[in-house]
Amino acid sequence: MNWHVIAVEAALSLLVVGLLVGDLLLPSGRKPRLWLIALAGLAALAAVLWCQRPWVGEVFTSAPQAGLMTGGAMFVLDPFAYYFKWLFLLTTGLVVLLTRNDAKLLSTQVGEFYLLLYIALLGMLVLASVNDLLLLFIGLELLTFSAYVMTAYVKTDPKAVEAGMKYLILGSVSSGCLIYGVGLLYGAAGSTNFDVLRALFSTGVIPPLATVGLWLVLVGLGFKIAAVPFHLWAPDVYEGAPTPVVALLSVGSKMAGMVALLRVLYGVFWAAESVWGSMLAVMSAATLLYGNLAAIPQTNIKRLLGYSSIGHAGYLLMGLSTATLFGAQAVSFYLLAYLFSNLAIFFVITLVSKAGGSDALDEYNGLSRRSPLLAAAMFIGLSSLAGVPPLAGFAGKWFVLLATVQDQRLWLVAVGAVNVAISLYYYFMVVRRVYLLAPPTATPIRVDGLNRLILFFLLGGILVIGTVQGPFLALLSRVVTF
Amino acid sequence: MPPLSSSWILALVLLAPAAAALLLCVVPAAQAVWVRRIAVLATGASLAGALTIFFHYNRALAGYQYEMLVPWISSLGISFHLGVDGIGTTLVLLHALCAFCGVLISYAITDRVKEYYIFYLVLITGVFGVFTSLDVFFIYFFYEMAVIPMYPLIGIWGSDVKEHGMVRFSKEYAAMKLTIYLTAGAVLALVGLLWLYASSGLQTSDLVALEHHFSLTPLAPHLQRMIFPLLVIGFGVIAPMWPFHSWSPIGHAAAPSAVSMLHAGVLMKLGSYAILRLAVSLMPDGARLWLPWLAGLCVMNIIYGGLVAMAQKDLKLIIGYSSSSHMGYVLLGIAVLTPVGLNGAVLLMFAHGLMTALAFALVGHVYDQTHTRYLPELGGLAKSLPFIATCGVIAAMASSGLPGFANFVAELLVIVGAWDQYRLQAVLAVLGVVITSVYMLRLVRGTFFGQANESLPHARDATTPFARLPYLILTGALLAVGCWPKPLISLIDLSTRPIIARIARAQAAAPGVGSTWRESY
Repeated sequence: MNWHVIAVEAALSLLVVGLLVGDLLLPSGRKPRLWLIALAGLAALAAVLWCQRPWVGEVFTSAPQAGLMTGGAMFVLDPFAYYFKWLFLLTTGLVVLLTRNDAKLLSTQVGEFYLLLYIALLGMLVLASVNDLLLLFIGLELLTFSAYVMTAYVKTDPKAVEAGMKYLILGSVSSGCLIYGVGLLYGAAGSTNFDVLRALFSTGVIPPLATVGLWLVLVGLGFKIAAVPFHLWAPDVYEGAPTPVVALLSVGSKMAGMVALLRVLYGVFWAAESVWGSMLAVMSAATLLYGNLAAIPQTNIKRLLGYSSIGHAGYLLMGLSTATLFGAQAVSFYLLAYLFSNLAIFFVITLVSKAGGSDALDEYNGLSRRSPLLAAAMFIGLSSLAGVPPLAGFAGKWFVLLATVQDQRLWLVAVGAVNVAISLYYYFMVVRRVYLLAPPTATPIRVDGLNRLILFFLLGGILVIGTVQGPFLALLSRVVTF
Repeated sequence: MPPLSSSWILALVLLAPAAAALLLCVVPAAQAVWVRRIAVLATGASLAGALTIFFHYNRALAGYQYEMLVPWISSLGISFHLGVDGIGTTLVLLHALCAFCGVLISYAITDRVKEYYIFYLVLITGVFGVFTSLDVFFIYFFYEMAVIPMYPLIGIWGSDVKEHGMVRFSKEYAAMKLTIYLTAGAVLALVGLLWLYASSGLQTSDLVALEHHFSLTPLAPHLQRMIFPLLVIGFGVIAPMWPFHSWSPIGHAAAPSAVSMLHAGVLMKLGSYAILRLAVSLMPDGARLWLPWLAGLCVMNIIYGGLVAMAQKDLKLIIGYSSSSHMGYVLLGIAVLTPVGLNGAVLLMFAHGLMTALAFALVGHVYDQTHTRYLPELGGLAKSLPFIATCGVIAAMASSGLPGFANFVAELLVIVGAWDQYRLQAVLAVLGVVITSVYMLRLVRGTFFGQANESLPHARDATTPFARLPYLILTGALLAVGCWPKPLISLIDLSTRPIIARIARAQAAAPGVGSTWRESY
């Protein structure tokens, strides 16, 4: 057995245990400092991941087993997995830094929170490397289960509890669909391994049983990325959950769902594009229209971002629906741009909410008078999400739309283009508050050095990715190959 | 001196304002003096570069010059390709003049100076980018980059449009309407551009390569027929083509003067430039089919815009509608598709840009001094503002198409060009000139002459040389080109001929695709 292939996941599992013990041993007065320890743990993980470079391309080979695992590896460390592991690590690190700004969260049992966050990270890391339907299910559940608990983490907040409950119920149903689909696929193919399935379906003709199975798997994954019609949880959960959790859900969880979709659709069912291509295109159009139109009347920034994240799922699905390699690369680029833009916005949200105590959009009135930096970060982040050059989101949208044009699905391009204008409207309604309206109070919002540094990093990233797109796309064309 | 060795000049023109915008991000907001100085220096450098290019453009060589090519996204054939031909040189000079004067006029801004100049410099960079880029990706990139800063610029530093003391349009409304209209137009054009890129089969977005390719093997006529209107309507929104013009006059009216100057002076020309460069030049078959429709629409611009301008009482709204009316001539010149018409169109872009920038700067001064732009409340200002009034009369004469101004030459060229082919449109365009003189004279009389309104605060003229500089530059350029248009026309002509020649070749290859187009070489 070559353990070094799963070194990061193994180390993370050890860390989870370590954190649990650390939480017990540390005196309760010092607990708010736990974020530093959590961050140090992530840094150690990054070191391990860095050392894994020589083994990129290997698969985890376990002792031959009977039963379900017929042939092939469950776990692969290909460049695709390696690349996304770095992104998951980056996301989690930034989420840990976000928790610093969340007073409500800090007043509770933070130790457990980081524990859950680590478990969610474990799920995402596993998903990046997944090469078997069962492992896919396990990875998703690791991620989702900890997300349920984290959503309802502030037990005193009825909204959070309600959100957690909704998420749990809808999530369980979608997990049920997923595992049912896995069962059907196993019944049709006799294996759950991606290599076996790919070989079996390489002709492009798949039996009806497997088609239904694939659809059910898509239901489960569509729920993760909040695609219409499996999006109902997103606005409520986004509004109710603590902001760092929302950041994790909207960036990490969506990215994990997309990685799994890419693995399943491109890695296994690529030849059977006729079964899912048009369906995803229709889903994409519905998701785009619903997410962006429903975002317009929102009055809570997190709820607005919930709908906006549905809208972005539409663009991601659009890229997927092309079933071309460039489409997959465009989607990966889009995810990178989305990561930087969205997290920059979430940092602003935590800082504003810390100063004002609420996430209502009214809190953002006149933000530019209270803190020019936060206002600029909000403007740049939202503009990037809307796809304004020279910011990252623009290049992402350009690539996704280009892939769709090349795939000759012009009606979908038209829907995507119209939605750029719609999304610009509601993003700029927030910009309007930030820059145009008068602030309710004149007290400036103080941004400490570390937050300043992070914001500069994220905004710089948005600008660099948006202007020097070439190297990033070149990297992705090496990484995203199936 | 071969121009290729000095390609950095064009890059300097584009990158100086961009660098200044980045630099301003780290300059403390309290240092308003330095913020302004940096902006003046940057746009001054751009202006110097633009003048150098204008005077050193090698007319014997023609074609794209001062080229610079940096591969950007090689897998998609996207490169950072700069270069200007005669049309580009003309428009870069126009923009450099307007931007420099705009920065000087912006000295009137005292609120949040640093943020203002950052947005303003991003806007300037975007417009330079469109005029200098020779890559479809970057043309769109800079186009959208120029549109977005308009929102905060109008929203924060603009003013509501009032009538009888009541708010007719709030600046927020105007800013959002402008942003949404322009973005909707932009994404429509984006669909067209992506479609064009994908169907060329070249895997390149390089404009020179595309021009070369399409002149040898034209795009399939049915694709041209579908893509052409996407580009014309998409970019036509900013031009502003009737009936997509309604964002524009109120956008002008609500914007601060320096932004109106760029907006009416240059930003609208982005639309006609992109239509000419991307739609007409690359898709001759589509052009022959659709341009008669454009000729019909732009007459609506001329007449309808002019009539509405006559009915306005807000100075900025009058000039706003007048701009939309005059852009009709530009579009008509493009629709004519003869050397005479195209030369007229490009020359009018230049002349109208200077005229309207001057007009908005003057109105801005009047508004700053009297705090009103409402025509019935004004009058007799020539006494207290002799310098401004003189410039105002010059601008009005230029706008009305009096001989001695480039606007006259340009409009004449457009009308003469249209005469053969679009007789009715040409006659109506002449009528438009009459309408223009009516509202322009009314504006001048109502503002500068007649009975003075004693209740207005005492207005102070621009007396220092520094305060007069922007007006002198714009007036001087307007008069210089008006008295001596030949060098400019011959420069433009160098670059319109290849476009006409390409269309003539397409006509020869597939006669009968567009029935209304006539060879007029």
